[in-house]
Amino acid sequence: MKTFVLSLTLTLCLSSMATAQCFADYKAKQDNPLRLHYGVAKISGPCSVADAKSELAHRIAINGWTVLKVMSVFGSDGLDQRKDSAGQYYLRF
Amino acid sequence: MQDNTTSASDMRRTGGRLVIFGIASILALLIGAALLLFLALPDAGAFDARVERMFVENTDITSQAEIKLLEILAQSGTAFADTLASYRLVIYTLLVFATAMMIAALVFLILIVGFNRRLAQIERAGIQVNSLLISREENTVYLNNLGFKLTDATMETMSVLAESRMDDDVLSGSEIEAVISGRSAADCDEAAGATRIKRLRDILGNQIVSELLVKNIARRGYMLAVEKDVIKVL
Repeated sequence: MKTFVLSLTLTLCLSSMATAQCFADYKAKQDNPLRLHYGVAKISGPCSVADAKSELAHRIAINGWTVLKVMSVFGSDGLDQRKDSAGQYYLRF
Repeated sequence: MQDNTTSASDMRRTGGRLVIFGIASILALLIGAALLLFLALPDAGAFDARVERMFVENTDITSQAEIKLLEILAQSGTAFADTLASYRLVIYTLLVFATAMMIAALVFLILIVGFNRRLAQIERAGIQVNSLLISREENTVYLNNLGFKLTDATMETMSVLAESRMDDDVLSGSEIEAVISGRSAADCDEAAGATRIKRLRDILGNQIVSELLVKNIARRGYMLAVEKDVIKVL
């Protein structure tokens, strides 16, 4: 029974990851002098705004950026409409 | 009598304490103003924070051009903050100068009050000797640049007194006589010295009074050398 539940959740997880990729658009800043950017990034963890924020914060902190806000999470269908706005920060991190 | 009156030295002491308190309070005010100036004004980060909030709150600001504009806005804000900082420095410098002027004015005011009090004392004390110059060749003593002619004998007495004063000595009549005549003090008469002092007082006092008080105007007569309005007859 236990193994069954475990395998079920694993399968569900894997299948959800395989079927729908998760992306997030966010706003970030650098201090002194103040620099801002709007970007789109791929999220590998759970697909929610809160989880995306913690994941992104770690990832872009290496380059000295701070996440201000994660606007939304979306699937691969939302990529095109955000490509222009994100510019050089489109899927950069 | 002294207990319930305020003497000049008392006034000077309280005045000194007042000056110290005054300068301390001025310094305290200055430090307070400096703290206010340097802490109360917004720092450079305030502008950045405002721009950042604008960026986060307006969800439709996503295009690169808009973001660039926001960055420029933040930069101009920072430049303005730098200007503010320099203004702050200028204001503080002016404040320091103004305070220095105020302290100087206060010190001069207190000095003037002190001088006035001293001048009043001098006026009341009558003649105060600031310089005593003994000229042996002319047989003349200059008190405050007023010359008084002395005889040879009184000149000797004057010189002996001046020398003993310089050594902080007090001479008795017989000692004065001993120094002038060259004999030992035991052989000298006390009265002889007293006579010399009396002669010196007579000749000097007479001349001082005629110089300062009872003037002799040549071929016309005598007159008191004081202002009319200071004379009172009881």
